[in-house]
Amino acid sequence: MSNATELAEFTEREYEYGFVTDIEADSAPPGLNEDVIRQISGRKSEPEWLLEYRLKAFAHWQQMETPEWSSVHHPPIDFQKISYFAAPRKKDGPKSLDEVDPELLRTYEKLGIPLDEQKALAGVAVDAVFDSVSVATTFRKQLAEAGVIFCSISEAAQEYPDLLRKYLGSVVPHTDNFYAALNAAVFTDGTFVYVPKGVRCPMELSTYFRINASNTGQFERTLIIADDNSYVSYLEGCTAPMRDENQLHAAVVELIAMEDAEIKYSTVQNWYPGDEHGVGGIYNFVTKRGDCRGDRSHISWTQVETGSAITWKYPSCILRGDDSVGEFYSVAVTRGRQQADTGTKMIHIGRNTTSTIISKGISAAEGQQSYRGLVRIAGKAENARNYTQCDSLLIGDRCGAHTYPYIEVKNPSAKLEHEATTSKISDDQLFYCRSRGLSEEDAISLIVNGFCKEIFNELPMEFAVEAQKLLSVSLEGAVG
Amino acid sequence: MNQSEGTLIRRLVCDRHPEETIRDENPWLSVLKKEAASWISDMPLPNRKMEAWRYTPIEFINKTAFSLDAEEAPFEALDLIDIEELLIPGSESSDRIVFVNGRYAPGLSGLKTGNGITLHTLAGDSKLPSGFKRQIGHADLSGRFFFTLNNALMSDGAVIHVNQQGGERRRLELLHITVGMPDPVIHNPRHLVVLERNTSLELVERYTSLGKSTYFNNAVIDIHLSEESDLLHTRLQEESELAQHLGHLTVKLEAHSNYRQVSLASGAAWSRTEAQIIFNGEHAHAELDGLILAGSKQLNDVHLEVLHEVPNCTSREHFKGLLSSNGKIVFDGRILVARDAQKTEAALNNENLMLSRSAEVDTKPQLEIFADDVKCSHGATVGELDPGMLFYLRSRGIPKAQAERMLCTAFANEVVSCISETPIRDHAKRMVLQHLASEGETG
Amino acid sequence: MLTIENLKAAAGDKEILKGLDLQVNAGEVHAIMGPNGSGKSSLAHILAGREGLDVTGGSVSFNGNDLLELEPEERAAVGVFLAFQYPVELPGVNNTHFLKEALNAQRRNRGEEELDSVAFMKLVREKMELVSMKPELLKRQVNAGFSGGEKKRNEILQLTLFEPRLAILDETDSGLDIDALRTVSKGVNAVRSEERAIILVTHYQRLLDYIEPDFVHVLADGRIIRSGDKTLALELEKKGYNWITDSEAA
Repeated sequence: MSNATELAEFTEREYEYGFVTDIEADSAPPGLNEDVIRQISGRKSEPEWLLEYRLKAFAHWQQMETPEWSSVHHPPIDFQKISYFAAPRKKDGPKSLDEVDPELLRTYEKLGIPLDEQKALAGVAVDAVFDSVSVATTFRKQLAEAGVIFCSISEAAQEYPDLLRKYLGSVVPHTDNFYAALNAAVFTDGTFVYVPKGVRCPMELSTYFRINASNTGQFERTLIIADDNSYVSYLEGCTAPMRDENQLHAAVVELIAMEDAEIKYSTVQNWYPGDEHGVGGIYNFVTKRGDCRGDRSHISWTQVETGSAITWKYPSCILRGDDSVGEFYSVAVTRGRQQADTGTKMIHIGRNTTSTIISKGISAAEGQQSYRGLVRIAGKAENARNYTQCDSLLIGDRCGAHTYPYIEVKNPSAKLEHEATTSKISDDQLFYCRSRGLSEEDAISLIVNGFCKEIFNELPMEFAVEAQKLLSVSLEGAVG
Repeated sequence: MNQSEGTLIRRLVCDRHPEETIRDENPWLSVLKKEAASWISDMPLPNRKMEAWRYTPIEFINKTAFSLDAEEAPFEALDLIDIEELLIPGSESSDRIVFVNGRYAPGLSGLKTGNGITLHTLAGDSKLPSGFKRQIGHADLSGRFFFTLNNALMSDGAVIHVNQQGGERRRLELLHITVGMPDPVIHNPRHLVVLERNTSLELVERYTSLGKSTYFNNAVIDIHLSEESDLLHTRLQEESELAQHLGHLTVKLEAHSNYRQVSLASGAAWSRTEAQIIFNGEHAHAELDGLILAGSKQLNDVHLEVLHEVPNCTSREHFKGLLSSNGKIVFDGRILVARDAQKTEAALNNENLMLSRSAEVDTKPQLEIFADDVKCSHGATVGELDPGMLFYLRSRGIPKAQAERMLCTAFANEVVSCISETPIRDHAKRMVLQHLASEGETG
Repeated sequence: MLTIENLKAAAGDKEILKGLDLQVNAGEVHAIMGPNGSGKSSLAHILAGREGLDVTGGSVSFNGNDLLELEPEERAAVGVFLAFQYPVELPGVNNTHFLKEALNAQRRNRGEEELDSVAFMKLVREKMELVSMKPELLKRQVNAGFSGGEKKRNEILQLTLFEPRLAILDETDSGLDIDALRTVSKGVNAVRSEERAIILVTHYQRLLDYIEPDFVHVLADGRIIRSGDKTLALELEKKGYNWITDSEAA
């Protein structure tokens, strides 16, 4: 079935984005204790309440045990060996791109995100996070005119402390899980978005960020609040350089949608997956949760995941408001020695809530992928509706695809449908394409894209194109 | 491990001397039981933190002081006339092996000789064929508490050997009857069914009781299907509504063998099935249809594993759950396809119909696929009676309650109609109607 | 027999019937026509007692009964029958069993004697001939796997079997070819009598060539805006619904 030579070629293919920037980073020494946390808080001149929040979370984290999951295997992480703070040396924040270190700008060019071009053509505001500190923030004025707040968490702590304090940790409390507690204690920065009542955010918001310094855990914290009747679309895409040591990424994303509000959160993830022996890739342990707080609110998660050595994430929706809607669209590709255990949780609490889950997994080489989903219908959740479709496509005979859906129903008026299929690209399909002139690789690309089409349709346009390219590149050489 | 957990049951195991109940003809069995007894003392009791017990409460094992049956079984006092009400009309003359309170009751059983079925019993006089020791004695390293408990406490069991090729398919009923005792008792029957190459059998396995009583039936049945053999297996769980029932089933299929199961569970306050279908040989096929009924104060749990270890096998499982009142159903069905099991076709489906507000269903169909040239799928649905269908019936004059009953019966019939033998199918229909009637459907 | 006065109804927030008046007497055949979305099917469903449609005003009286107070099965027992436009499928429910249960439930409700299997089968076979239905359909599940035409015939079979006082046929002709249409019409005409009233809800005039109405009403925007005899239907066919709705608006 699989051509050994081709597969070998495939796994040896260079990680396209792998490189390192030489900027001096101002890192804290490795290790985690109260002092480090005070240091982090102090460097950012955080208000007292925020420091206390961190300390509380840290105390709680110390009581918790490292989680062990059955289907994801990794060597134990030594949390004392990680440096929790790294920032490029600078005195004050740059006021415009002209003030940004040209070396940094060249970095961004290499990453394929020329800020200038983006500024001119797409009009997308970019909050580029370089390691653990925000470096450039563009378009804030335009957004400010619309009333939209789009800044880093650090800035929000200074300029919008009441807003931040009201909502931070209200969707993912520090007690939620091990990595959420860790994040709450040591998060260094991230994005804060507040869209006021009745405002439709005028542009797609996005963040690019990467991990640079070695042994630096990346603990980003994102908080997006859409007030009554507002709309915001947020794009998250990240790349990371090649490293020898495993790099930990334990982010927390909290979304809050009030009455009639809608948040669209899209992710294209292409983190370093590790070399052919599975060494050195990113560990992506993320807690992402959306709270459909208001009636008729709507949160949708769309993701295309092709990287990381290990992925553990379950973007979830709590459908609290009546008539609220939660959606999850995902394409996950695992190749090489990647392991992914991802899925979603849809918790139906209000009345007439609806959730849709469409998950497409593609496994190649020795990739192992699990979909783990939970649909829970509470006793008072009248007329809940869920539709779930999980499909896996296996390429090559050494990979694995697994599906573990948990369906818990306590209300009879609920209507749930769940379907899952696992298959491979059929020889008939391949032959048909080839008999029409396509090469085998192109045929696979075509078929896989068709397999994922539903998901790509949900992505904002710029991302959709990038995602499709990413998919083809990810599967190059995976032909069996 | 919490030492106070399972104290009652562990003490029961320690107090019991395994040798007492099995005669010396089979000393290896005593060894097996002692070994299992020693494991029990260290094994953690199933609890909610274990994935396999996540939704299934197990308090009764801590709260009830079960005892084992006395040596003199009550079946001595039973006559055929006493159990007549339990027999399925139309099947009275079938070959039948009867177990009363976990022990073979020769006086109530009847097996025609010379028809290719040989019966041994674990507590019986005759020596077991040596090959069977291996079948019964397989050490269980998976840490399954109740299975190990059965190993430690088993007092008797049927060893059914089908060894005559060709001819008509023989039918055999394996009938369990529990007679209530003043104190709660735990029964641990242990059965083995072996079909030799190119043989066939129809096995009707039933769990019934006389009168309402409290007991725990911890039953194990292992089935080995040799090459080209064929088993039609009907499982009917009709336990007392106060009882606990745990049915372990393992089916091993060799090349070109065929396993067809239709099951119906309507009794017991607490019922759990742990079934494993294991494909050992290529081109084998397994098909299971099951109906799970959970009404007032009932918990019914089906844990199913279908293990495709070799290529070219097919499996299809379809389980339907019907919930009323405060009934609860747990369904966990896992399809595992190993790396080399190419050309596997496996499908699993669980549909649940909830009739009441206080019912609960937790369903988790799973796929673990390590081979690529396969076709695997699963599905799960949960819903209530279709209002459009109800209205249609009512608009034709059928009263609401009757309309609901008709739709529930239709839902159940999809499984019941899979039973090909008319007397048994009629009996199953009656089981469903009785359950619905006693529930008043909407509860 | 049937008196509808100022009937108002809504589905959720949407008003569907806005004050409908209609009088149907025994022995009469009334056709209700109208553009899509006018509320024709909703009226039919309200008369049969379907949930999801709220009556917000007005009254419906049927042979001295307050029809809106009765449960669907009670309405069937007093003789109201609705032939659905989209008959639902009942997987697992045997057609014969269903018909017998329904008929006997109605009889029971009326204090009449129930039919035993033999008598029932005799009756059903007679009626099946009337609608040219294949006997095999009796053995199958209700409407499951039936073609569109077979489903409609099953509805008309029920009509002939239950012998209702008031038969409401909701777009019975939709989706039928000429032969099916003929057969269905034959069945309906066979049950026309002095004691029975029939309401035909239809969009097209075609059905009325086969089942001649005594009265034709146009239902538009939740009300009956014009009534006439069968010639009204012919005019509508020629001029379209806009002709009437426009002239009413004028």
